Amino acid sequence: MASVAGSSTLMASISCRKPNQASNFNAVSLAIKGNSFPSLKSCSAPSRFRVSCAAKPETVDKVCSIVRKQLALPEDSAVTGDSKFASLGADSLDTVEIVMGLEEEFGISVEEESAQTIATVQDAADLIEKLISKE
Amino acid sequence: MFCTSALSPLQLPSRMETHLWYVLPNEVKSQSLLSQYVDLLSPLEKDHVFSMRGEELQKSALLARALVRTTIARYQIHSRVSPRSLVFRKNAHGKPEVIWEQSDDWHPPPLHFNLSHTSSLIACGVTVGSPIGIDVEEKQRTMKSNILSFAKRYFSCEEVEVLSAISDPEVQRHEFIKLWTLKEAYVKALGTGFSGAPFNTFTIRFGVANPNPEDSAIVIVPLEKPTNLTTNWQFAQVQLAGSHYAAICRQNDGLPGGASMKVIVRKTIPLVEEHCVPSIVPVDD
Repeated sequence: MASVAGSSTLMASISCRKPNQASNFNAVSLAIKGNSFPSLKSCSAPSRFRVSCAAKPETVDKVCSIVRKQLALPEDSAVTGDSKFASLGADSLDTVEIVMGLEEEFGISVEEESAQTIATVQDAADLIEKLISKE
Repeated sequence: MFCTSALSPLQLPSRMETHLWYVLPNEVKSQSLLSQYVDLLSPLEKDHVFSMRGEELQKSALLARALVRTTIARYQIHSRVSPRSLVFRKNAHGKPEVIWEQSDDWHPPPLHFNLSHTSSLIACGVTVGSPIGIDVEEKQRTMKSNILSFAKRYFSCEEVEVLSAISDPEVQRHEFIKLWTLKEAYVKALGTGFSGAPFNTFTIRFGVANPNPEDSAIVIVPLEKPTNLTTNWQFAQVQLAGSHYAAICRQNDGLPGGASMKVIVRKTIPLVEEHCVPSIVPVDD
């Protein structure tokens, strides 16, 4: 326990030097994905309040819950549509387990090409609805 | 105080060697050292590190970048290369690689690397002249899914049979993790992503049980015809720090058939220290 407290002091003191890391995160992650939505800001509001023609909030919530369970995240940790699996600590085995969990929950089959494109909770939710609508 | 300029040089691996470096985050506690690591990173890398959720994940991401930058720079590829000056990019499928400075009078050696990490260990494999993929997992890692259900969904039939035949659940779990890391290492060596070689299109087969574990070959058996498996891939599996399985996949560079991969394992704290550790092939726990 001492080492956990120690390391959170360490990283916190280093990350304090970094300006605007929250808004940088979204700008950088969107740039990496090849999208160009520079006006989107980091937002702590749940994704259900965001205007989009993407997946239903209930789908996003179910994905969030499966992700939380797989990664053993505390109930109060913020997991939203924007959350990147990798940033939450998912490695490749976690991601595949999550995809399998989504297949079982929604009765779909996710091919490897599609699974590879999933980076965020929203990606997963959008893919699920696309696959459901095809059935 | 640690001096970043004092990076002792390393000899490149020969074409027949694979270097495997690892760092244990629990052993890196110094604030000033972590700050030095941050200073080595590109702006994009810093953003990525601090976008991770929570201190532990941030530290792990930071150590991964520090490990790869310091390690590659130490191979003294070029006098102007420092950990901070290295430039990385991702290939078309997302596999990271170094962009070397090109000039008329200098051609970079064909150095390849691959990173893998868990929360408790970060590893970097380095080769010359062969693509490399590595994957590490904690031996004690548990699955949320049922192992056989997972294997039936993603692995090959032969692999499912092998796992199904193991009656002890702990042994089964260990064998599953070993298989997973080997399959991941292959896909990462290929560099075409998960969809480039879906896991059920190839079998990883362990050689006949042998008194000497080092001689038990791990081979890959393609299941698709015509096969796209044109290269002679070679595998190794080692234990690290008593706590992790590491799998390595690289091309077999004309070694006599059946010769095992020569892996040199070094445990390190970037900028501080390192020491060679014996390469331990996991026996059945």
